[in-house]
Amino acid sequence: MARMKTPMKAVAIAFVAWVAFVAFAAHAQVLKSAAEDRVLATTDEVKYMYPAQASVAAGKPTAIALHFLIRQGLHINSHTPSEEELIPTTLSFPDGSGVRLDAATYPPGVTYTLPADPSLKLSVYTGELIIQARVVATAGSHAVKATLHFQACDNRVCLPPKSIDVPINVIGK
Amino acid sequence: MGNRRAGSCFPYNKVMTSFPTRRNTVVLTAVVFLLAVFAWAGWANWEYRRQAAERAAAANQQGMLVPATDGGIPIYNSPLQGRPAPAFTLDNLSGQKVSLENYRGKAVLVNFWATWCGPCIIETPWLVELRNKYAAQGFEILGIDTEGDDAQPSDKAAWAKDQAAAAKVVTQMKMPYPVLLGGDSLSQRYGGLDDLPASFFVDRKGTVIAASVGLTSESDIEGNIRKALGD
Repeated sequence: MARMKTPMKAVAIAFVAWVAFVAFAAHAQVLKSAAEDRVLATTDEVKYMYPAQASVAAGKPTAIALHFLIRQGLHINSHTPSEEELIPTTLSFPDGSGVRLDAATYPPGVTYTLPADPSLKLSVYTGELIIQARVVATAGSHAVKATLHFQACDNRVCLPPKSIDVPINVIGK
Repeated sequence: MGNRRAGSCFPYNKVMTSFPTRRNTVVLTAVVFLLAVFAWAGWANWEYRRQAAERAAAANQQGMLVPATDGGIPIYNSPLQGRPAPAFTLDNLSGQKVSLENYRGKAVLVNFWATWCGPCIIETPWLVELRNKYAAQGFEILGIDTEGDDAQPSDKAAWAKDQAAAAKVVTQMKMPYPVLLGGDSLSQRYGGLDDLPASFFVDRKGTVIAASVGLTSESDIEGNIRKALGD
Protein backbone atom coordinates (compact mmCIF):
# COMPACT_ATOMS: atom_id res chain seq x y z
CA MET A 1 0.00 0.00 0.00
CA ALA A 2 2.77 2.47 1.04
CA ARG A 3 4.67 1.62 -2.15
CA MET A 4 1.61 2.37 -4.29
CA LYS A 5 1.16 5.85 -2.74
CA THR A 6 4.76 7.08 -3.20
CA PRO A 7 4.51 7.76 -6.95
CA MET A 8 1.34 9.80 -6.30
CA LYS A 9 3.23 11.75 -3.66
CA ALA A 10 5.98 12.42 -6.18
CA VAL A 11 3.45 13.71 -8.68
CA ALA A 12 1.94 15.94 -6.00
CA ILE A 13 5.36 17.36 -5.08
CA ALA A 14 6.16 18.01 -8.73
CA PHE A 15 2.82 19.78 -9.21
CA VAL A 16 3.37 22.02 -6.16
CA ALA A 17 6.87 22.84 -7.39
CA TRP A 18 5.51 23.81 -10.81
CA VAL A 19 2.87 26.08 -9.26
CA ALA A 20 5.51 27.72 -7.08
CA PHE A 21 7.74 28.37 -10.09
CA VAL A 22 4.89 29.90 -12.10
CA ALA A 23 3.93 32.11 -9.14
CA PHE A 24 7.53 33.27 -8.75
CA ALA A 25 7.86 34.08 -12.45
CA ALA A 26 4.56 35.95 -12.44
CA HIS A 27 5.62 37.96 -9.40
CA ALA A 28 8.87 38.96 -11.10
CA GLN A 29 6.85 40.01 -14.17
CA VAL A 30 4.55 42.18 -12.03
CA LEU A 31 7.52 43.89 -10.38
CA LYS A 32 9.04 44.63 -13.76
CA SER A 33 5.77 46.10 -15.11
CA ALA A 34 5.42 48.34 -12.07
CA ALA A 35 8.93 49.68 -12.61
CA GLU A 36 8.21 50.39 -16.27
CA ASP A 37 5.08 52.42 -15.39
CA ARG A 38 7.21 54.93 -13.54
CA VAL A 39 9.11 56.11 -16.64
CA LEU A 40 7.50 57.86 -19.60
CA ALA A 41 8.37 55.46 -22.39
CA THR A 42 9.99 56.78 -25.55
CA THR A 43 9.44 53.63 -27.60
CA ASP A 44 6.41 52.63 -29.63
CA GLU A 45 5.23 56.18 -30.19
CA VAL A 46 3.76 54.93 -33.47
CA LYS A 47 3.20 51.28 -34.31
CA TYR A 48 2.46 49.70 -37.66
CA MET A 49 -0.57 47.48 -37.14
CA TYR A 50 -1.60 45.83 -40.47
CA PRO A 51 -1.77 44.46 -43.15
CA ALA A 52 1.20 42.13 -43.09
CA GLN A 53 0.48 41.05 -46.63
CA ALA A 54 -1.30 42.42 -49.71
CA SER A 55 -2.01 40.97 -53.15
CA VAL A 56 -2.03 43.33 -56.13
CA ALA A 57 -2.22 42.97 -59.91
CA ALA A 58 1.37 43.04 -61.17
CA GLY A 59 2.28 46.24 -62.99
CA LYS A 60 -0.99 47.98 -62.12
CA PRO A 61 -1.21 50.82 -59.55
CA THR A 62 -3.20 49.48 -56.58
CA ALA A 63 -4.00 51.17 -53.27
CA ILE A 64 -3.17 49.43 -50.01
CA ALA A 65 -4.54 50.90 -46.77
CA LEU A 66 -1.74 50.91 -44.18
CA HIS A 67 -2.95 51.10 -40.57
CA PHE A 68 -0.88 52.71 -37.82
CA LEU A 69 -1.59 53.40 -34.15
CA ILE A 70 -0.27 56.52 -32.41
CA ARG A 71 0.21 56.04 -28.69
CA GLN A 72 -2.48 57.59 -26.52
CA GLY A 73 -1.53 61.04 -25.30
CA LEU A 74 0.81 61.70 -28.22
CA HIS A 75 0.25 63.51 -31.50
CA ILE A 76 2.39 63.57 -34.64
CA ASN A 77 2.41 66.34 -37.23
CA SER A 78 0.25 65.66 -40.25
CA HIS A 79 1.72 65.37 -43.74
CA THR A 80 1.09 69.12 -44.11
CA PRO A 81 2.00 70.74 -40.78
CA SER A 82 0.97 74.28 -39.95
CA GLU A 83 4.51 75.68 -39.76
CA GLU A 84 7.48 75.24 -42.09
CA GLU A 85 9.80 74.18 -39.27
CA LEU A 86 7.56 71.35 -38.13
CA ILE A 87 8.44 67.87 -39.32
CA PRO A 88 5.77 66.22 -41.51
CA THR A 89 4.72 62.58 -41.44
CA THR A 90 5.88 60.87 -44.62
CA LEU A 91 5.74 57.34 -46.02
CA SER A 92 8.42 55.99 -48.35
CA PHE A 93 9.24 52.70 -50.06
CA PRO A 94 12.84 51.62 -50.67
CA ASP A 95 14.29 51.50 -54.18
CA GLY A 96 14.91 48.13 -55.76
CA SER A 97 12.35 46.24 -53.67
CA GLY A 98 10.17 45.35 -56.64
CA VAL A 99 7.43 47.58 -55.24
CA ARG A 100 7.29 51.26 -56.17
CA LEU A 101 5.22 53.80 -54.28
CA ASP A 102 3.24 55.55 -56.98
CA ALA A 103 1.51 57.97 -54.58
CA ALA A 104 0.60 58.12 -50.89
CA THR A 105 -2.67 59.69 -49.77
CA TYR A 106 -2.57 61.02 -46.24
CA PRO A 107 -5.64 61.95 -44.20
CA PRO A 108 -6.16 65.63 -43.39
CA GLY A 109 -4.74 66.67 -40.03
CA VAL A 110 -6.83 67.65 -37.05
CA THR A 111 -6.33 71.18 -35.71
CA TYR A 112 -4.75 70.96 -32.27
CA THR A 113 -3.59 73.57 -29.79
CA LEU A 114 -1.39 73.13 -26.74
CA PRO A 115 -3.05 74.22 -23.49
CA ALA A 116 -0.10 76.55 -22.79
CA ASP A 117 -0.57 78.56 -26.01
CA PRO A 118 -3.91 78.36 -27.82
CA SER A 119 -2.62 80.72 -30.53
CA LEU A 120 -0.20 78.06 -31.85
CA LYS A 121 -2.41 75.92 -34.11
CA LEU A 122 -0.99 72.57 -35.12
CA SER A 123 -2.17 70.11 -37.79
CA VAL A 124 -1.75 66.65 -36.28
CA TYR A 125 -2.72 63.00 -36.30
CA THR A 126 -3.74 61.13 -33.17
CA GLY A 127 -4.97 57.62 -32.47
CA GLU A 128 -5.48 55.50 -35.57
CA LEU A 129 -3.79 56.66 -38.78
CA ILE A 130 -4.59 55.16 -42.19
CA ILE A 131 -2.39 56.01 -45.16
CA GLN A 132 -3.46 54.88 -48.64
CA ALA A 133 -0.31 53.71 -50.42
CA ARG A 134 -0.83 53.33 -54.18
CA VAL A 135 1.89 50.91 -55.26
CA VAL A 136 3.06 49.26 -58.45
CA ALA A 137 4.57 45.80 -57.95
CA THR A 138 6.33 43.48 -60.36
CA ALA A 139 5.20 39.85 -60.48
CA GLY A 140 6.21 37.71 -57.53
CA SER A 141 6.37 37.96 -53.77
CA HIS A 142 8.20 40.98 -52.35
CA ALA A 143 9.02 41.31 -48.65
CA VAL A 144 9.22 45.09 -48.38
CA LYS A 145 10.26 47.31 -45.46
CA ALA A 146 8.65 50.64 -46.13
CA THR A 147 9.41 53.55 -43.77
CA LEU A 148 7.21 55.98 -41.87
CA HIS A 149 9.00 59.14 -40.74
CA PHE A 150 7.34 61.29 -38.08
CA GLN A 151 7.88 63.48 -35.03
CA ALA A 152 5.77 63.05 -31.88
CA CYS A 153 4.93 65.31 -28.93
CA ASP A 154 2.52 65.34 -26.03
CA ASN A 155 1.24 68.53 -24.37
CA ARG A 156 4.56 69.25 -22.66
CA VAL A 157 7.45 67.50 -24.37
CA CYS A 158 8.55 66.66 -27.90
CA LEU A 159 10.45 63.53 -28.87
CA PRO A 160 13.05 63.56 -31.66
CA PRO A 161 12.03 62.81 -35.26
CA LYS A 162 11.97 59.08 -35.86
CA SER A 163 11.46 56.45 -38.54
CA ILE A 164 9.78 53.09 -38.09
CA ASP A 165 9.78 50.08 -40.41
CA VAL A 166 6.55 49.18 -42.17
CA PRO A 167 7.04 45.49 -43.04
CA ILE A 168 4.61 44.24 -45.69
CA ASN A 169 4.69 41.31 -48.05
CA VAL A 170 3.39 42.50 -51.44
CA ILE A 171 2.44 39.79 -53.90
CA GLY A 172 2.21 40.80 -57.54
CA LYS A 173 -0.09 38.41 -59.42
CA MET B 1 11.01 -8.77 -14.17
CA GLY B 2 13.03 -11.63 -12.75
CA ASN B 3 16.76 -12.07 -12.38
CA ARG B 4 19.24 -10.97 -14.95
CA ARG B 5 22.89 -11.83 -15.63
CA ALA B 6 23.39 -14.21 -12.78
CA GLY B 7 27.00 -14.13 -11.74
CA SER B 8 27.72 -10.48 -12.61
CA CYS B 9 29.39 -8.14 -10.07
CA PHE B 10 26.36 -5.90 -9.68
CA PRO B 11 23.91 -7.27 -7.06
CA TYR B 12 20.97 -7.57 -9.44
CA ASN B 13 19.35 -10.17 -7.23
CA LYS B 14 19.25 -7.74 -4.35
CA VAL B 15 18.06 -4.96 -6.65
CA MET B 16 15.31 -6.99 -8.20
CA THR B 17 13.93 -8.22 -4.90
CA SER B 18 13.73 -4.64 -3.75
CA PHE B 19 12.51 -3.41 -7.16
CA PRO B 20 9.56 -1.30 -5.96
CA THR B 21 11.94 0.66 -3.65
CA ARG B 22 14.37 1.07 -6.56
CA ARG B 23 11.59 2.45 -8.78
CA ASN B 24 10.48 4.89 -6.10
CA THR B 25 14.05 6.08 -5.67
CA VAL B 26 14.29 6.73 -9.40
CA VAL B 27 11.01 8.66 -9.35
CA LEU B 28 12.00 10.67 -6.33
CA THR B 29 15.39 11.45 -7.85
CA ALA B 30 13.66 12.65 -10.99
CA VAL B 31 11.33 14.86 -8.95
CA VAL B 32 14.21 16.34 -6.96
CA PHE B 33 16.05 16.99 -10.21
CA LEU B 34 12.99 18.73 -11.67
CA LEU B 35 12.62 20.82 -8.52
CA ALA B 36 16.25 21.84 -8.83
CA VAL B 37 15.70 22.82 -12.45
CA PHE B 38 12.65 24.90 -11.49
CA ALA B 39 14.53 26.56 -8.67
CA TRP B 40 17.44 27.38 -10.94
CA ALA B 41 15.09 28.71 -13.65
CA GLY B 42 13.33 30.90 -11.10
CA TRP B 43 16.58 32.26 -9.74
CA ALA B 44 18.00 32.82 -13.23
CA ASN B 45 14.84 34.70 -14.26
CA TRP B 46 15.01 36.92 -11.17
CA GLU B 47 18.70 37.58 -11.60
CA TYR B 48 18.25 38.44 -15.29
CA ARG B 49 15.46 40.90 -14.50
CA ARG B 50 17.45 42.47 -11.68
CA GLN B 51 20.44 43.04 -13.94
CA ALA B 52 18.25 44.36 -16.75
CA ALA B 53 16.65 46.82 -14.34
CA GLU B 54 20.06 47.96 -13.14
CA ARG B 55 21.26 48.49 -16.68
CA ALA B 56 18.11 50.40 -17.54
CA ALA B 57 18.35 52.67 -14.54
CA ALA B 58 22.11 53.19 -15.05
CA ALA B 59 21.84 55.53 -12.10
CA ASN B 60 24.87 57.59 -12.98
CA GLN B 61 23.91 58.09 -16.62
CA GLN B 62 20.19 58.42 -17.26
CA GLY B 63 17.66 60.97 -16.17
CA MET B 64 14.20 59.65 -15.36
CA LEU B 65 10.81 61.28 -15.69
CA VAL B 66 8.60 60.20 -12.80
CA PRO B 67 4.86 60.91 -12.75
CA ALA B 68 4.01 63.42 -10.01
CA THR B 69 1.88 62.08 -7.16
CA ASP B 70 -0.60 64.96 -7.49
CA GLY B 71 -1.06 64.31 -11.22
CA GLY B 72 0.80 67.50 -12.12
CA ILE B 73 3.98 68.04 -14.09
CA PRO B 74 6.21 64.94 -13.96
CA ILE B 75 9.28 65.34 -11.81
CA TYR B 76 12.59 65.05 -13.59
CA ASN B 77 15.28 63.24 -11.61
CA SER B 78 18.49 64.36 -13.25
CA PRO B 79 21.68 62.42 -12.58
CA LEU B 80 23.46 65.80 -12.75
CA GLN B 81 21.62 67.36 -9.81
CA GLY B 82 24.22 68.82 -7.44
CA ARG B 83 27.10 67.85 -9.74
CA PRO B 84 29.36 69.89 -12.03
CA ALA B 85 27.72 70.72 -15.35
CA PRO B 86 29.50 68.74 -18.11
CA ALA B 87 31.86 71.01 -20.03
CA PHE B 88 31.30 71.57 -23.74
CA THR B 89 32.39 73.68 -26.70
CA LEU B 90 29.95 74.18 -29.57
CA ASP B 91 29.66 76.47 -32.59
CA ASN B 92 27.35 79.46 -32.46
CA LEU B 93 25.37 80.56 -35.53
CA SER B 94 28.35 82.56 -36.80
CA GLY B 95 30.62 79.53 -36.61
CA GLN B 96 32.52 80.75 -33.52
CA LYS B 97 33.40 78.34 -30.72
CA VAL B 98 31.56 78.94 -27.44
CA SER B 99 32.39 77.06 -24.21
CA LEU B 100 30.40 76.71 -20.99
CA GLU B 101 33.69 77.51 -19.23
CA ASN B 102 33.53 81.04 -20.68
CA TYR B 103 30.59 81.70 -18.33
CA ARG B 104 32.14 80.61 -15.04
CA GLY B 105 31.12 83.21 -12.47
CA LYS B 106 27.72 83.68 -14.09
CA ALA B 107 24.51 81.74 -13.55
CA VAL B 108 23.71 79.88 -16.76
CA LEU B 109 20.62 78.17 -18.10
CA VAL B 110 21.70 75.43 -20.52
CA ASN B 111 18.50 75.03 -22.56
CA PHE B 112 18.12 72.19 -25.08
CA TRP B 113 15.52 73.04 -27.74
CA ALA B 114 14.71 72.47 -31.43
CA THR B 115 13.08 74.49 -34.20
CA TRP B 116 10.39 71.83 -34.66
CA CYS B 117 9.50 71.66 -30.94
CA GLY B 118 6.19 73.39 -30.17
CA PRO B 119 6.63 73.52 -26.36
CA CYS B 120 10.15 74.96 -26.92
CA ILE B 121 8.70 77.76 -29.06
CA ILE B 122 6.08 78.44 -26.37
CA GLU B 123 8.66 78.85 -23.59
CA THR B 124 11.08 80.97 -25.68
CA PRO B 125 9.35 84.34 -25.01
CA TRP B 126 9.56 83.55 -21.28
CA LEU B 127 13.29 82.80 -21.62
CA VAL B 128 13.84 86.02 -23.57
CA GLU B 129 12.02 88.06 -20.92
CA LEU B 130 13.83 86.42 -17.99
CA ARG B 131 17.21 86.69 -19.64
CA ASN B 132 16.71 90.40 -20.19
CA LYS B 133 15.47 90.83 -16.61
CA TYR B 134 18.38 89.05 -14.89
CA ALA B 135 21.30 89.67 -17.31
CA ALA B 136 22.59 92.59 -15.23
CA GLN B 137 22.86 90.28 -12.20
CA GLY B 138 25.13 87.93 -14.14
CA PHE B 139 22.69 85.53 -15.82
CA GLU B 140 22.99 84.10 -19.33
CA ILE B 141 21.15 81.47 -21.36
CA LEU B 142 22.86 79.12 -23.81
CA GLY B 143 20.30 77.81 -26.30
CA ILE B 144 21.49 74.40 -27.46
CA ASP B 145 19.82 73.58 -30.78
CA THR B 146 19.14 69.83 -30.78
CA GLU B 147 17.57 69.03 -34.14
CA GLY B 148 17.77 65.24 -33.77
CA ASP B 149 19.38 64.79 -37.18
CA ASP B 150 22.90 64.13 -35.82
CA ALA B 151 24.25 66.73 -38.26
CA GLN B 152 28.01 67.24 -38.01
CA PRO B 153 29.97 70.35 -38.98
CA SER B 154 31.74 68.20 -41.59
CA ASP B 155 28.38 67.63 -43.33
CA LYS B 156 28.19 71.15 -44.72
CA ALA B 157 24.74 70.84 -46.31
CA ALA B 158 23.02 69.47 -43.20
CA TRP B 159 24.86 71.89 -40.92
CA ALA B 160 23.93 74.86 -43.09
CA LYS B 161 20.29 73.74 -43.11
CA ASP B 162 20.21 73.54 -39.31
CA GLN B 163 21.98 76.86 -39.01
CA ALA B 164 19.49 78.58 -41.34
CA ALA B 165 16.50 77.09 -39.49
CA ALA B 166 17.85 78.19 -36.10
CA ALA B 167 18.77 81.67 -37.36
CA LYS B 168 15.23 82.17 -38.63
CA VAL B 169 13.73 81.33 -35.23
CA VAL B 170 16.31 83.50 -33.43
CA THR B 171 15.31 86.47 -35.59
CA GLN B 172 11.56 85.82 -35.31
CA MET B 173 11.63 85.42 -31.52
CA LYS B 174 14.29 88.09 -30.91
CA MET B 175 16.47 85.72 -28.88
CA PRO B 176 19.20 87.86 -27.28
CA TYR B 177 21.33 84.97 -26.01
CA PRO B 178 23.85 82.69 -27.74
CA VAL B 179 22.34 79.82 -29.72
CA LEU B 180 24.71 76.92 -30.29
CA LEU B 181 24.43 74.12 -32.87
CA GLY B 182 25.10 70.42 -32.46
CA GLY B 183 23.05 69.63 -29.36
CA ASP B 184 22.62 66.00 -30.46
CA SER B 185 26.23 65.31 -29.49
CA LEU B 186 25.76 66.83 -26.03
CA SER B 187 22.39 65.51 -24.84
CA GLN B 188 23.77 62.09 -23.82
CA ARG B 189 26.21 63.70 -21.39
CA TYR B 190 23.41 65.78 -19.93
CA GLY B 191 21.31 62.80 -18.86
CA GLY B 192 20.41 61.08 -22.12
CA LEU B 193 16.73 61.94 -22.15
CA ASP B 194 15.61 62.75 -25.69
CA ASP B 195 12.65 64.88 -24.62
CA LEU B 196 12.67 68.58 -25.41
CA PRO B 197 12.77 71.20 -24.01
CA ALA B 198 15.29 70.27 -21.32
CA SER B 199 16.77 72.91 -19.01
CA PHE B 200 19.77 72.72 -16.70
CA PHE B 201 20.29 75.60 -14.26
CA VAL B 202 23.98 76.07 -13.44
CA ASP B 203 25.20 78.27 -10.59
CA ARG B 204 28.22 80.60 -10.63
CA LYS B 205 30.53 77.78 -9.57
CA GLY B 206 29.42 75.51 -12.41
CA THR B 207 27.16 73.19 -10.38
CA VAL B 208 23.78 72.03 -11.70
CA ILE B 209 21.32 73.22 -9.04
CA ALA B 210 18.11 72.31 -10.89
CA ALA B 211 16.94 70.52 -14.02
CA SER B 212 13.61 70.22 -15.77
CA VAL B 213 12.26 68.48 -18.83
CA GLY B 214 9.20 69.62 -20.75
CA LEU B 215 7.14 72.77 -20.66
CA THR B 216 6.77 74.07 -17.11
CA SER B 217 5.87 77.73 -16.40
CA GLU B 218 7.58 81.11 -16.46
CA SER B 219 7.46 81.31 -12.67
CA ASP B 220 9.06 77.85 -12.33
CA ILE B 221 11.88 78.93 -14.62
CA GLU B 222 12.30 82.23 -12.78
CA GLY B 223 12.50 80.41 -9.45
CA ASN B 224 15.33 78.23 -10.73
CA ILE B 225 17.16 81.23 -12.21
CA ARG B 226 17.08 82.99 -8.85
CA LYS B 227 18.39 79.82 -7.17
CA ALA B 228 21.24 79.66 -9.69
CA LEU B 229 22.05 83.33 -9.05
CA GLY B 230 22.28 82.51 -5.36
CA ASP B 231 19.22 84.50 -4.30
